[in-house]
Amino acid sequence: MLLSIVLSGVAIGCVYALIGIAYNVMFSASRVFSFTAGTLGMAGGILGALFILKLGLPVWAGFLLALAGGAILGVVTEILAVRPVLKSLDQHLYVLSTLALALIVQQFAAIEWGTDAQPFPRLLNIERNSFDQQFWLPMVACAVTIVGLEVLYRRTLLGHAFRAIAEDNYAARALGLPERNLRMASYAIAGVIGALSGFAGGQMLLAFFDNATLLTFYGFVPVALGGMGNNRGAVVAGLVLGLFQQAANFLVGGVFSSVAVFAAFILVLLARPEGLAGVALGRRV
Amino acid sequence: MALTRRQALKSAGAAVAAAGIARPAVAQKNPILVGYLPALTGPSSSTGVGINRGIQLAIEEINKSGGIDGRQLELITRDTQSDPTKAVNGAAELTRGVKVSAVFGPVNSGESLAVVPLLARTNTPQVHPCWVDTLTDVKKYPMCFRNAPTNQQIGGASNRYVVEVLKKKKVAVISDTAGYGTASLNAYVPMLKQMGADVVYQASIDAANPDLKPEILRMQSAGAEAIMPWSVNAGFLSRIINTRGQLAWDVPICGQTTLGSGQTKALLEKPEYWAKVYPNNFRPVCYGAGGKLPDRTVAFLDRLKSHKIDMGDTLLWWIALGYDSPNMIAQAMKAVGPEPEKLVDYMNQLKDFPGVYGDISFTKDKHDGYRDDQVVMVEANSLKDGAFNLAPGYGA
Repeated sequence: MLLSIVLSGVAIGCVYALIGIAYNVMFSASRVFSFTAGTLGMAGGILGALFILKLGLPVWAGFLLALAGGAILGVVTEILAVRPVLKSLDQHLYVLSTLALALIVQQFAAIEWGTDAQPFPRLLNIERNSFDQQFWLPMVACAVTIVGLEVLYRRTLLGHAFRAIAEDNYAARALGLPERNLRMASYAIAGVIGALSGFAGGQMLLAFFDNATLLTFYGFVPVALGGMGNNRGAVVAGLVLGLFQQAANFLVGGVFSSVAVFAAFILVLLARPEGLAGVALGRRV
Repeated sequence: MALTRRQALKSAGAAVAAAGIARPAVAQKNPILVGYLPALTGPSSSTGVGINRGIQLAIEEINKSGGIDGRQLELITRDTQSDPTKAVNGAAELTRGVKVSAVFGPVNSGESLAVVPLLARTNTPQVHPCWVDTLTDVKKYPMCFRNAPTNQQIGGASNRYVVEVLKKKKVAVISDTAGYGTASLNAYVPMLKQMGADVVYQASIDAANPDLKPEILRMQSAGAEAIMPWSVNAGFLSRIINTRGQLAWDVPICGQTTLGSGQTKALLEKPEYWAKVYPNNFRPVCYGAGGKLPDRTVAFLDRLKSHKIDMGDTLLWWIALGYDSPNMIAQAMKAVGPEPEKLVDYMNQLKDFPGVYGDISFTKDKHDGYRDDQVVMVEANSLKDGAFNLAPGYGA
């Protein structure tokens, strides 16, 4: 039983962590908290099933096309839901604009794809076992994403530019950095990460339009617990969330496990409003 | 030739008289309009698409055989798009604009919940096949009739099968957190307890939960001998079946018809996991002993085949229900004409209408026309030509 809790808890925690990272990447580039992150995860699952199962493409082609779809959705988010509200960021209009876009995409998926969960393909032709690919694929995807982002942000010039606009976009623009293009690129990267989470977790979550709601909420928890913009915090908090959720499923079951998860979430935020790994910022007065 | 005043008056009088005589003759040739509110598109359209195939066949046959006393039956269709708001708009147009004589549909409960009160206010006779118990009420909706089972009948059949046929006394009852699921759970658990069953595990579970192993293990440790899931969510149901299979736990799963749907089948990890899964279905459209359908259903299948109606992607009971509904309305109209009050009086005394989907009877005090004994359980993995084998334990 313990192995089962750990395996499925870590696997689903990795999916939540990836959605949390997608939230963070978009937030760092724009200071906008885009609620399309869960929709990106949903899109990754549905596009993967569409390309591989329905259209019969090879797994590698389906994988690349699903990620490309996520990137396009990320860019569309930036153009339609983020850019128009950047001038009035303090009014939090982005909550409405990004939520509206997320709902539009989700309803479009429901109409075109259907409201029933549909199968997601087995990606590797390996016999099922207790440490099945449905568990370890999200773990691999999470590890690759963390390493990739670390390399991008710390070892490349482009990554330094991303960090510059995340730190202070006015100063970055003053230095001649193309802020708008970098922001669009960040949203494309977030789209790829979101789609990767849905694709890697597709065998657990299936290709289902309503995964968007699940991932939007549960993907938000690692960000809030780990600290906004803090990817390492999101990963740790995502794993803790997944394990805690599975343990609650075993211990209390039914809808009470969700109650337990969100009760713990609220308690943690009451104790540390800046998140477990976040840093409290002083405000100049 | 000059026309005298007397000739003109005679001509005018003759014209008026001729018009007065001719008017009813013209009216007799007008088609009788029947409103139809299916969900042909949108997220809940699979039922409507199946039902529509039967409806179209029935209308074609009725009109080919002379219609209603020489008048054709014209179906005025408004696709609800699986949306209660559009269903209400369609119903308003059918009753106030087109002025139909009767309405069949909507075919989904969510849309019917919105439409039934509206049709009651417009005094339009209505027949619908939706299961939610409150959708018939002879006092509130005296012109509304249901030619399908209620939720109570569906749950009752499952409970009887588990407790009386399979002789399982320790039962786990679970649902998703949607309205249908929780309402079913709350209704069926007391029924089971009344029958002497011990409900050892009961829970409403978030259907999006990707891992149901904890729930299944909890049922197992509670000593459950049967699982009864109530949900129309194929993803949720398939996870229950898959997890039972992974744990090699050999208990029967009995419940909602979606357990036997193609969507559920598509989500199974292994085809053999579908064994010992028993969804609800309806005796007149099931294979009995020796793999035979009732004679009435065999004749219907032959007609479907001769009309090249596809059954591979739908269920026989949906097509049969669609076929029966206009035939029942046409029988009433042939007997008493299309006047609403007369139609309702006739329906209030309808006895054993011989439908393919089932025999239907109404009384003035009971507008739920489907018989309890026609609701049965079937073997999910026996689907062939849209129909299933009766579950083990039923007589022929």
